[in-house]
Amino acid sequence: MPAAGLKTIIALSFVLAVGFLLVILSCALWKAYYPLLVVATYVLAPVPNWICSHLANPDDFVESSGAAVLDLGRFCTGFLVAMGLALPVILAHSNIIAVPAMIMSVIGGLLIYGTIISFAMFFQEEQEF
Amino acid sequence: MSEERLFKFRKPEWLNSVWARNAGVYAAGGLFSLAFYILLDSAVWSKSAINGSDVHITFVDWLPFIFSSLGMLIINSVEKARLSADSFSYSGSGVAWKARVFAVPGVQWPGMLMGVENVVANALVGLSSVVLWVSQNMEDEYAYNLAL
Repeated sequence: MPAAGLKTIIALSFVLAVGFLLVILSCALWKAYYPLLVVATYVLAPVPNWICSHLANPDDFVESSGAAVLDLGRFCTGFLVAMGLALPVILAHSNIIAVPAMIMSVIGGLLIYGTIISFAMFFQEEQEF
Repeated sequence: MSEERLFKFRKPEWLNSVWARNAGVYAAGGLFSLAFYILLDSAVWSKSAINGSDVHITFVDWLPFIFSSLGMLIINSVEKARLSADSFSYSGSGVAWKARVFAVPGVQWPGMLMGVENVVANALVGLSSVVLWVSQNMEDEYAYNLAL
């Protein structure tokens, strides 16, 4: 991955800050702090993947048990990503938060998760070998 | 492999990659999560103030979801290699259908939305298990290609 330098970090942190701003605004403007759960969800989302990729040895083709652990991690990550989308919708449907708060927290959550994913993509290559 | 096909439909070529397999597993997780949260939505909505009727979601309404999740667990612990070993006309998605048929009596008619959400959630669990099973069993050919 070329040029994963200072500019990348600045851009990523800018996007992350905008995402956090949107989520916190969606909480603070209506004084209902449930959308903060979205942040926790998206921060936790890549964790099963990381744990399971350290647990398994993907280069081992003789034993196929490693792939199952990897799949479990992917399944949990997919679960958490969809949870981050579904949680504000549920809250808005039951009138716990307002609909604009739902939209803001969904967009903010997607920005946060996109930042995490692209951070992992940009800075993954250096660790290998 | 071309003679002893387990499924009726041939798998397209593009499905045979690592990318499609990983995407399948992610999608299965997402679908399962969607199912769970649709059901949770009906439960939360039934407790909230805007539910005018006195129909409420109880533990009984969660039972179809629990059963179809158990069915999903059972299906996905079956490997495709075991199924194609003999000439049993038994396919994995048949069990998903059974789980789904079993799930349908969980509909509650008065709270129409809640019942519909229940059915949709169970259908999504079935879909998720099909996606997960297909993408998990892609693995054999992938490993074989790399071994060559």
